[in-house]
Amino acid sequence: MANESNSRKAILVTPEICIGCRACQVACKSWNQLPASKTKNNGTYQNPPDLESNTFNIIRFAEVPSKETPVRWLFVSRRCMHCEDAGCVKICPSGALYKTAEGAVAYDRDKCIGCKLCSTGCPFDVPRYDKEGKVSKCHLCFDRIAANMTPSCVKTCPTGALKYGDRAELIAEAKKTGYTTIYGENDLKGLGSVYAFKEEPKLYGLKENPALPSSVAFWHSYLKPLSWIGLGGVVAAAAIHYLAIGPHKEEKEEV
Amino acid sequence: MAEMVRKSSVDEIVNHWVLAGSCILLALSGFAFLFHLDGVAGVFGGYNVMKDVHNWLGVIFALSLLYSMRHYLKDAFEYDADDLQWFKVAGGYLSHKVKVPPMGKYNPGQKLYYLAIVAAGIAITASGLGMWLMKDDATVLMYSHLIHNLAFVIFAIAVPVHIYLGTLANPGTFKLMVSGTLPLEEAKRRYPKWMKAAGRM
Repeated sequence: MANESNSRKAILVTPEICIGCRACQVACKSWNQLPASKTKNNGTYQNPPDLESNTFNIIRFAEVPSKETPVRWLFVSRRCMHCEDAGCVKICPSGALYKTAEGAVAYDRDKCIGCKLCSTGCPFDVPRYDKEGKVSKCHLCFDRIAANMTPSCVKTCPTGALKYGDRAELIAEAKKTGYTTIYGENDLKGLGSVYAFKEEPKLYGLKENPALPSSVAFWHSYLKPLSWIGLGGVVAAAAIHYLAIGPHKEEKEEV
Repeated sequence: MAEMVRKSSVDEIVNHWVLAGSCILLALSGFAFLFHLDGVAGVFGGYNVMKDVHNWLGVIFALSLLYSMRHYLKDAFEYDADDLQWFKVAGGYLSHKVKVPPMGKYNPGQKLYYLAIVAAGIAITASGLGMWLMKDDATVLMYSHLIHNLAFVIFAIAVPVHIYLGTLANPGTFKLMVSGTLPLEEAKRRYPKWMKAAGRM
Protein backbone atom coordinates (compact mmCIF):
# COMPACT_ATOMS: atom_id res chain seq x y z
CA MET A 1 0.00 0.00 0.00
CA ALA A 2 2.87 2.35 0.72
CA ASN A 3 4.02 2.19 -2.87
CA GLU A 4 0.51 2.76 -4.08
CA SER A 5 0.04 5.88 -2.02
CA ASN A 6 3.42 7.18 -3.17
CA SER A 7 2.40 6.79 -6.77
CA ARG A 8 -1.03 8.25 -6.19
CA LYS A 9 -1.80 11.15 -8.47
CA ALA A 10 -4.29 13.93 -7.97
CA ILE A 11 -5.74 17.07 -9.42
CA LEU A 12 -5.23 20.09 -7.18
CA VAL A 13 -7.92 22.72 -7.62
CA THR A 14 -7.14 26.24 -6.40
CA PRO A 15 -10.40 28.15 -6.86
CA GLU A 16 -8.76 31.42 -5.73
CA ILE A 17 -6.73 31.63 -8.94
CA CYS A 18 -9.45 30.33 -11.25
CA ILE A 19 -10.63 32.99 -13.69
CA GLY A 20 -13.75 31.13 -14.75
CA CYS A 21 -12.75 30.83 -18.40
CA ARG A 22 -14.11 27.28 -18.60
CA ALA A 23 -11.40 26.19 -21.00
CA CYS A 24 -11.27 23.03 -18.83
CA GLN A 25 -14.84 22.22 -19.81
CA VAL A 26 -14.04 22.67 -23.48
CA ALA A 27 -10.81 20.69 -23.30
CA CYS A 28 -12.64 17.85 -21.55
CA LYS A 29 -15.31 17.73 -24.23
CA SER A 30 -12.66 17.88 -26.91
CA TRP A 31 -10.51 15.02 -25.58
CA ASN A 32 -13.44 12.82 -24.64
CA GLN A 33 -15.38 13.67 -27.82
CA LEU A 34 -18.46 14.74 -25.91
CA PRO A 35 -21.20 16.67 -27.69
CA ALA A 36 -22.50 19.97 -26.33
CA SER A 37 -25.91 20.26 -24.74
CA LYS A 38 -28.44 22.88 -25.66
CA THR A 39 -29.20 24.88 -22.54
CA LYS A 40 -31.12 28.03 -21.66
CA ASN A 41 -29.63 31.17 -20.15
CA ASN A 42 -30.79 31.22 -16.58
CA GLY A 43 -28.82 34.24 -15.45
CA THR A 44 -25.46 32.65 -14.70
CA TYR A 45 -22.33 31.79 -16.59
CA GLN A 46 -22.53 28.36 -15.01
CA ASN A 47 -23.38 26.28 -18.01
CA PRO A 48 -24.49 23.52 -18.26
CA PRO A 49 -26.10 23.92 -14.83
CA ASP A 50 -24.66 20.65 -13.51
CA LEU A 51 -22.72 17.57 -14.55
CA GLU A 52 -24.27 15.57 -17.37
CA SER A 53 -23.54 12.30 -19.11
CA ASN A 54 -21.74 14.37 -21.74
CA THR A 55 -20.28 16.93 -19.30
CA PHE A 56 -17.64 15.52 -16.96
CA ASN A 57 -16.60 18.79 -15.36
CA ILE A 58 -18.11 22.23 -14.88
CA ILE A 59 -17.07 25.46 -13.27
CA ARG A 60 -19.59 26.39 -10.62
CA PHE A 61 -20.15 30.15 -10.44
CA ALA A 62 -21.07 30.98 -6.87
CA GLU A 63 -22.08 34.43 -5.69
CA VAL A 64 -21.48 35.00 -1.99
CA PRO A 65 -21.91 38.08 0.21
CA SER A 66 -18.85 40.21 0.85
CA LYS A 67 -17.92 43.23 2.98
CA GLU A 68 -15.53 44.85 0.49
CA THR A 69 -17.50 44.45 -2.73
CA PRO A 70 -21.23 44.13 -3.43
CA VAL A 71 -20.73 40.46 -4.13
CA ARG A 72 -17.93 37.94 -4.41
CA TRP A 73 -17.81 35.72 -7.44
CA LEU A 74 -16.26 32.32 -6.83
CA PHE A 75 -15.31 29.79 -9.46
CA VAL A 76 -15.07 26.17 -8.38
CA SER A 77 -14.32 23.18 -10.54
CA ARG A 78 -16.85 20.40 -10.01
CA ARG A 79 -16.03 16.89 -11.16
CA CYS A 80 -15.53 13.36 -9.87
CA MET A 81 -13.57 13.50 -6.62
CA HIS A 82 -11.76 10.21 -7.26
CA CYS A 83 -12.15 9.08 -3.64
CA GLU A 84 -9.61 6.59 -2.34
CA ASP A 85 -12.50 4.91 -0.48
CA ALA A 86 -14.79 5.10 -3.50
CA GLY A 87 -18.40 4.16 -2.75
CA CYS A 88 -19.20 3.75 -6.45
CA VAL A 89 -16.41 1.19 -6.91
CA LYS A 90 -17.53 -0.65 -3.78
CA ILE A 91 -21.16 -0.94 -4.78
CA CYS A 92 -20.70 -1.57 -8.52
CA PRO A 93 -21.93 -5.16 -9.03
CA SER A 94 -20.20 -5.79 -12.34
CA GLY A 95 -16.75 -4.38 -11.65
CA ALA A 96 -17.28 -1.77 -14.37
CA LEU A 97 -16.03 0.97 -12.04
CA TYR A 98 -12.47 0.46 -10.88
CA LYS A 99 -9.44 2.25 -9.49
CA THR A 100 -6.40 2.74 -11.69
CA ALA A 101 -2.81 2.50 -10.45
CA GLU A 102 -2.72 6.30 -10.35
CA GLY A 103 -5.77 6.41 -8.07
CA ALA A 104 -8.29 7.50 -10.70
CA VAL A 105 -11.80 6.09 -10.55
CA ALA A 106 -12.28 4.91 -14.13
CA TYR A 107 -14.89 2.69 -15.74
CA ASP A 108 -15.32 0.11 -18.44
CA ARG A 109 -18.48 1.18 -20.25
CA ASP A 110 -18.99 -2.26 -21.81
CA LYS A 111 -19.11 -3.89 -18.38
CA CYS A 112 -21.64 -1.39 -16.99
CA ILE A 113 -25.05 -3.02 -16.52
CA GLY A 114 -26.83 0.30 -15.98
CA CYS A 115 -28.08 -0.52 -12.46
CA LYS A 116 -27.33 3.02 -11.22
CA LEU A 117 -26.17 1.74 -7.83
CA CYS A 118 -23.02 3.88 -8.15
CA SER A 119 -25.21 6.95 -7.77
CA THR A 120 -26.27 5.68 -4.32
CA GLY A 121 -22.64 5.00 -3.39
CA CYS A 122 -21.37 8.45 -4.39
CA PRO A 123 -21.25 11.14 -1.67
CA PHE A 124 -20.87 13.87 -4.30
CA ASP A 125 -23.70 13.15 -6.77
CA VAL A 126 -21.29 12.61 -9.64
CA PRO A 127 -22.27 9.56 -11.75
CA ARG A 128 -24.47 10.31 -14.72
CA TYR A 129 -26.02 7.92 -17.24
CA ASP A 130 -26.06 8.21 -21.02
CA LYS A 131 -28.92 7.43 -23.39
CA GLU A 132 -28.19 3.73 -23.12
CA GLY A 133 -28.26 3.95 -19.33
CA LYS A 134 -24.52 3.41 -18.95
CA VAL A 135 -22.38 5.24 -16.40
CA SER A 136 -20.54 8.35 -17.50
CA LYS A 137 -18.27 10.66 -15.50
CA CYS A 138 -14.80 12.21 -15.18
CA HIS A 139 -12.18 9.45 -15.23
CA LEU A 140 -9.18 11.72 -14.63
CA CYS A 141 -8.23 11.12 -18.29
CA PHE A 142 -6.99 7.68 -17.22
CA ASP A 143 -5.98 7.06 -20.82
CA ARG A 144 -3.79 10.19 -20.89
CA ILE A 145 -2.24 9.80 -17.44
CA ALA A 146 -1.35 6.17 -18.14
CA ALA A 147 0.78 7.58 -20.99
CA ASN A 148 2.39 10.17 -18.70
CA MET A 149 0.32 13.04 -20.02
CA THR A 150 -1.72 15.38 -17.85
CA PRO A 151 -5.53 15.31 -17.90
CA SER A 152 -6.87 17.49 -20.70
CA CYS A 153 -8.53 20.00 -18.34
CA VAL A 154 -5.23 20.53 -16.51
CA LYS A 155 -3.31 20.75 -19.78
CA THR A 156 -5.45 23.66 -20.92
CA CYS A 157 -5.84 25.58 -17.64
CA PRO A 158 -4.16 28.97 -18.21
CA THR A 159 -3.68 30.00 -14.57
CA GLY A 160 -2.67 26.86 -12.73
CA ALA A 161 -5.98 26.68 -10.91
CA LEU A 162 -5.91 23.05 -11.98
CA LYS A 163 -2.69 21.17 -11.36
CA TYR A 164 -1.92 17.50 -11.81
CA GLY A 165 0.87 15.51 -10.23
CA ASP A 166 1.91 13.40 -7.26
CA ARG A 167 -0.80 13.85 -4.69
CA ALA A 168 1.49 14.24 -1.70
CA GLU A 169 3.68 16.77 -3.51
CA LEU A 170 0.73 18.86 -4.69
CA ILE A 171 -0.65 19.04 -1.16
CA ALA A 172 2.73 19.92 0.36
CA GLU A 173 3.27 22.61 -2.25
CA ALA A 174 -0.16 24.12 -1.68
CA LYS A 175 0.44 24.28 2.06
CA LYS A 176 3.84 25.91 1.52
CA THR A 177 2.21 28.52 -0.71
CA GLY A 178 -0.05 29.50 2.16
CA TYR A 179 -3.24 27.59 1.54
CA THR A 180 -4.31 26.66 5.04
CA THR A 181 -7.21 24.38 4.21
CA ILE A 182 -6.80 21.39 1.94
CA TYR A 183 -10.22 19.96 1.16
CA GLY A 184 -10.15 16.22 0.67
CA GLU A 185 -6.76 15.56 2.21
CA ASN A 186 -8.17 12.88 4.50
CA ASP A 187 -11.87 12.63 3.64
CA LEU A 188 -12.85 9.19 2.30
CA LYS A 189 -9.24 8.13 2.90
CA GLY A 190 -8.14 11.01 0.70
CA LEU A 191 -9.74 12.45 -2.41
CA GLY A 192 -8.06 12.43 -5.81
CA SER A 193 -9.49 15.88 -6.51
CA VAL A 194 -8.10 18.04 -3.71
CA TYR A 195 -8.92 21.71 -3.22
CA ALA A 196 -6.67 24.41 -1.75
CA PHE A 197 -8.32 27.22 0.18
CA LYS A 198 -7.42 30.08 2.46
CA GLU A 199 -11.02 30.21 3.63
CA GLU A 200 -13.68 27.72 4.61
CA PRO A 201 -14.50 25.18 1.85
CA LYS A 202 -18.15 25.65 2.82
CA LEU A 203 -17.99 29.17 1.40
CA TYR A 204 -17.17 27.62 -1.96
CA GLY A 205 -20.15 25.26 -1.69
CA LEU A 206 -18.19 22.12 -0.94
CA LYS A 207 -19.83 19.42 1.14
CA GLU A 208 -18.71 19.40 4.79
CA ASN A 209 -17.36 16.09 6.12
CA PRO A 210 -18.17 14.00 3.05
CA ALA A 211 -18.62 10.32 3.87
CA LEU A 212 -20.02 7.16 2.35
CA PRO A 213 -23.78 6.83 2.80
CA SER A 214 -24.21 4.84 6.03
CA SER A 215 -26.35 2.18 4.34
CA VAL A 216 -23.61 1.58 1.78
CA ALA A 217 -20.92 1.43 4.47
CA PHE A 218 -23.03 -1.00 6.55
CA TRP A 219 -23.72 -3.15 3.51
CA HIS A 220 -20.07 -3.28 2.53
CA SER A 221 -18.66 -3.93 6.00
CA TYR A 222 -21.25 -6.35 7.37
CA LEU A 223 -23.94 -7.61 5.00
CA LYS A 224 -21.65 -8.50 2.13
CA PRO A 225 -19.26 -10.66 4.21
CA LEU A 226 -22.19 -12.11 6.18
CA SER A 227 -23.63 -13.70 3.03
CA TRP A 228 -20.65 -15.96 2.41
CA ILE A 229 -19.74 -16.36 6.10
CA GLY A 230 -23.34 -17.48 6.71
CA LEU A 231 -23.26 -19.94 3.82
CA GLY A 232 -19.82 -21.24 4.73
CA GLY A 233 -20.77 -21.44 8.41
CA VAL A 234 -23.82 -23.56 7.66
CA VAL A 235 -21.85 -25.90 5.40
CA ALA A 236 -19.17 -26.28 8.10
CA ALA A 237 -21.78 -26.77 10.84
CA ALA A 238 -23.57 -29.39 8.73
CA ALA A 239 -20.31 -31.28 8.18
CA ILE A 240 -19.52 -31.17 11.90
CA HIS A 241 -23.05 -32.28 12.77
CA TYR A 242 -22.89 -35.16 10.33
CA LEU A 243 -19.59 -36.37 11.74
CA ALA A 244 -20.14 -35.67 15.44
CA ILE A 245 -23.82 -36.49 15.91
CA GLY A 246 -24.72 -38.21 12.70
CA PRO A 247 -27.89 -38.43 10.65
CA HIS A 248 -31.32 -39.16 12.02
CA LYS A 249 -31.86 -42.81 12.88
CA GLU A 250 -35.16 -44.61 12.70
CA GLU A 251 -36.27 -45.72 16.15
CA LYS A 252 -37.07 -49.19 14.85
CA GLU A 253 -34.46 -50.09 12.32
CA GLU A 254 -35.15 -52.91 9.85
CA VAL A 255 -38.83 -53.49 10.41
CA MET B 1 -44.65 -54.69 -2.56
CA ALA B 2 -45.21 -52.56 0.47
CA GLU B 3 -48.21 -50.26 0.53
CA MET B 4 -47.13 -46.72 -0.39
CA VAL B 5 -48.33 -43.36 0.84
CA ARG B 6 -48.08 -40.22 -1.26
CA LYS B 7 -46.67 -37.32 0.77
CA SER B 8 -45.88 -34.85 -2.02
CA SER B 9 -48.08 -34.42 -5.07
CA VAL B 10 -46.53 -34.15 -8.53
CA ASP B 11 -47.67 -30.53 -8.46
CA GLU B 12 -45.66 -29.94 -5.27
CA ILE B 13 -42.60 -31.70 -6.61
CA VAL B 14 -42.52 -29.69 -9.85
CA ASN B 15 -43.16 -26.51 -7.90
CA HIS B 16 -40.35 -27.36 -5.48
CA TRP B 17 -37.78 -27.98 -8.21
CA VAL B 18 -38.67 -24.82 -10.11
CA LEU B 19 -38.17 -22.93 -6.83
CA ALA B 20 -34.95 -24.77 -6.03
CA GLY B 21 -33.48 -24.37 -9.51
CA SER B 22 -34.29 -20.68 -9.79
CA CYS B 23 -33.14 -20.07 -6.20
CA ILE B 24 -29.75 -21.67 -6.77
CA LEU B 25 -29.17 -19.84 -10.05
CA LEU B 26 -30.28 -16.58 -8.42
CA ALA B 27 -27.92 -17.12 -5.49
CA LEU B 28 -25.06 -18.03 -7.81
CA SER B 29 -25.51 -14.94 -9.98
CA GLY B 30 -26.13 -12.90 -6.83
CA PHE B 31 -22.81 -13.99 -5.36
CA ALA B 32 -21.20 -13.20 -8.72
CA PHE B 33 -22.56 -9.64 -8.53
CA LEU B 34 -21.51 -9.26 -4.89
CA PHE B 35 -17.96 -10.47 -5.30
CA HIS B 36 -17.29 -9.82 -9.00
CA LEU B 37 -16.93 -13.51 -9.86
CA ASP B 38 -15.95 -13.00 -13.51
CA GLY B 39 -15.85 -16.76 -14.15
CA VAL B 40 -19.46 -17.21 -13.03
CA ALA B 41 -20.55 -14.11 -14.96
CA GLY B 42 -18.82 -15.56 -18.02
CA VAL B 43 -20.89 -18.73 -17.79
CA PHE B 44 -24.04 -16.60 -17.81
CA GLY B 45 -22.73 -14.66 -20.82
CA GLY B 46 -21.25 -11.63 -19.08
CA TYR B 47 -22.60 -9.23 -16.46
CA ASN B 48 -25.13 -7.59 -18.78
CA VAL B 49 -26.78 -10.87 -19.73
CA MET B 50 -26.49 -12.14 -16.16
CA LYS B 51 -28.44 -9.11 -14.96
CA ASP B 52 -31.36 -9.91 -17.29
CA VAL B 53 -31.21 -13.62 -16.41
CA HIS B 54 -31.15 -12.73 -12.69
CA ASN B 55 -34.14 -10.40 -13.04
CA TRP B 56 -36.31 -12.88 -14.94
CA LEU B 57 -35.30 -15.81 -12.74
CA GLY B 58 -36.48 -13.61 -9.90
CA VAL B 59 -39.89 -13.38 -11.56
CA ILE B 60 -40.03 -17.17 -11.95
CA PHE B 61 -38.94 -17.65 -8.33
CA ALA B 62 -41.48 -15.15 -7.01
CA LEU B 63 -44.39 -16.67 -8.96
CA SER B 64 -43.37 -20.18 -7.88
CA LEU B 65 -43.16 -19.08 -4.27
CA LEU B 66 -46.59 -17.52 -4.53
CA TYR B 67 -47.93 -20.75 -6.02
CA SER B 68 -46.30 -22.84 -3.26
CA MET B 69 -48.46 -21.11 -0.68
CA ARG B 70 -51.41 -23.30 -1.69
CA HIS B 71 -49.39 -26.31 -0.58
CA TYR B 72 -47.80 -25.15 2.63
CA LEU B 73 -49.03 -21.82 3.95
CA LYS B 74 -51.98 -23.15 5.97
CA ASP B 75 -49.90 -25.84 7.70
CA ALA B 76 -47.08 -23.38 8.36
CA PHE B 77 -49.30 -21.32 10.63
CA GLU B 78 -50.58 -24.21 12.77
CA TYR B 79 -48.62 -25.22 15.86
CA ASP B 80 -49.49 -27.40 18.86
CA ALA B 81 -47.95 -28.57 22.16
CA ASP B 82 -45.93 -31.30 20.42
CA ASP B 83 -44.37 -28.63 18.24
CA LEU B 84 -43.25 -26.76 21.35
CA GLN B 85 -41.78 -29.96 22.76
CA TRP B 86 -40.06 -30.53 19.40
CA PHE B 87 -38.16 -27.26 19.89
CA LYS B 88 -37.22 -28.26 23.45
CA VAL B 89 -35.47 -31.36 22.16
CA ALA B 90 -34.15 -29.48 19.11
CA GLY B 91 -35.99 -31.89 16.85
CA GLY B 92 -33.74 -34.69 18.08
CA TYR B 93 -30.91 -33.36 15.96
CA LEU B 94 -28.49 -32.64 18.80
CA SER B 95 -28.82 -36.03 20.47
CA HIS B 96 -30.24 -39.38 19.42
CA LYS B 97 -31.16 -40.19 23.01
CA VAL B 98 -33.96 -37.65 23.49
CA LYS B 99 -37.52 -38.59 22.75
CA VAL B 100 -38.94 -36.61 19.83
CA PRO B 101 -42.70 -36.01 20.15
CA PRO B 102 -45.01 -37.40 17.45
CA MET B 103 -45.24 -35.19 14.40
CA GLY B 104 -47.86 -34.38 11.80
CA LYS B 105 -47.12 -33.94 8.13
CA TYR B 106 -44.51 -31.26 8.82
CA ASN B 107 -42.38 -30.57 11.86
CA PRO B 108 -42.27 -27.02 13.24
CA GLY B 109 -38.74 -26.53 11.91
CA GLN B 110 -40.03 -27.09 8.40
CA LYS B 111 -42.99 -24.81 9.02
CA LEU B 112 -40.82 -21.99 10.32
CA TYR B 113 -38.40 -22.52 7.47
CA TYR B 114 -41.25 -22.06 5.04
CA LEU B 115 -42.40 -18.87 6.74
CA ALA B 116 -38.85 -17.52 6.73
CA ILE B 117 -38.54 -18.23 3.01
CA VAL B 118 -41.90 -16.58 2.34
CA ALA B 119 -40.92 -13.49 4.36
CA ALA B 120 -37.45 -13.26 2.86
CA GLY B 121 -38.93 -14.08 -0.55
CA ILE B 122 -41.39 -11.20 -0.36
CA ALA B 123 -38.61 -8.85 0.78
CA ILE B 124 -36.14 -9.94 -1.88
CA THR B 125 -38.79 -9.80 -4.62
CA ALA B 126 -40.10 -6.37 -3.68
CA SER B 127 -36.60 -4.93 -3.33
CA GLY B 128 -35.50 -6.63 -6.53
CA LEU B 129 -38.37 -5.07 -8.42
CA GLY B 130 -37.46 -1.74 -6.80
CA MET B 131 -33.90 -1.92 -8.13
CA TRP B 132 -35.08 -3.15 -11.50
CA LEU B 133 -37.99 -0.83 -12.21
CA MET B 134 -37.53 2.17 -9.92
CA LYS B 135 -33.80 2.75 -10.11
CA ASP B 136 -34.24 6.42 -11.01
CA ASP B 137 -35.57 7.06 -7.50
CA ALA B 138 -32.35 7.30 -5.45
CA THR B 139 -34.08 6.56 -2.12
CA VAL B 140 -35.93 3.51 -3.44
CA LEU B 141 -32.71 2.26 -5.05
CA MET B 142 -30.67 2.66 -1.87
CA TYR B 143 -33.15 0.96 0.45
CA SER B 144 -33.96 -1.74 -2.09
CA HIS B 145 -30.29 -2.60 -2.34
CA LEU B 146 -30.02 -2.83 1.43
CA ILE B 147 -33.18 -4.95 1.85
CA HIS B 148 -32.22 -7.19 -1.08
CA ASN B 149 -28.92 -7.96 0.63
CA LEU B 150 -30.50 -8.47 4.06
CA ALA B 151 -32.96 -10.97 2.61
CA PHE B 152 -30.14 -12.61 0.70
CA VAL B 153 -28.30 -13.29 3.96
CA ILE B 154 -31.40 -15.12 5.23
CA PHE B 155 -31.47 -17.24 2.07
CA ALA B 156 -27.72 -17.88 2.22
CA ILE B 157 -28.13 -19.29 5.74
CA ALA B 158 -31.57 -20.95 5.60
CA VAL B 159 -31.35 -22.71 2.24
CA PRO B 160 -28.21 -24.77 2.94
CA VAL B 161 -29.72 -25.82 6.30
CA HIS B 162 -32.81 -26.98 4.40
CA ILE B 163 -30.70 -28.86 1.85
CA TYR B 164 -28.69 -30.63 4.56
CA LEU B 165 -31.77 -31.60 6.57
CA GLY B 166 -33.55 -32.78 3.44
CA THR B 167 -30.70 -35.01 2.31
CA LEU B 168 -27.77 -36.20 4.43
CA ALA B 169 -29.22 -35.48 7.86
CA ASN B 170 -32.43 -37.43 7.23
CA PRO B 171 -31.80 -40.44 5.00
CA GLY B 172 -34.87 -41.31 3.00
CA THR B 173 -36.29 -37.78 2.98
CA PHE B 174 -34.94 -36.76 -0.40
CA LYS B 175 -37.12 -39.27 -2.25
CA LEU B 176 -40.18 -37.35 -1.04
CA MET B 177 -39.19 -34.64 -3.49
CA VAL B 178 -38.47 -37.14 -6.28
CA SER B 179 -41.14 -39.84 -6.27
CA GLY B 180 -43.17 -38.16 -3.53
CA THR B 181 -44.13 -41.49 -1.93
CA LEU B 182 -42.97 -43.56 1.01
CA PRO B 183 -43.96 -46.93 2.47
CA LEU B 184 -46.98 -46.83 4.76
CA GLU B 185 -45.03 -48.32 7.67
CA GLU B 186 -42.40 -45.59 7.41
CA ALA B 187 -45.08 -42.90 7.20
CA LYS B 188 -46.72 -44.22 10.38
CA ARG B 189 -43.41 -43.98 12.22
CA ARG B 190 -42.42 -40.57 10.98
CA TYR B 191 -45.74 -38.76 10.67
CA PRO B 192 -48.08 -40.56 13.12
CA LYS B 193 -50.41 -37.60 13.63
CA TRP B 194 -50.76 -37.07 9.90
CA MET B 195 -51.50 -40.76 9.33
CA LYS B 196 -54.04 -40.77 12.15
CA ALA B 197 -55.77 -37.72 10.72
CA ALA B 198 -55.81 -39.41 7.32
CA GLY B 199 -57.37 -42.54 8.87
CA ARG B 200 -54.45 -44.76 7.91
CA MET B 201 -53.59 -45.83 11.47
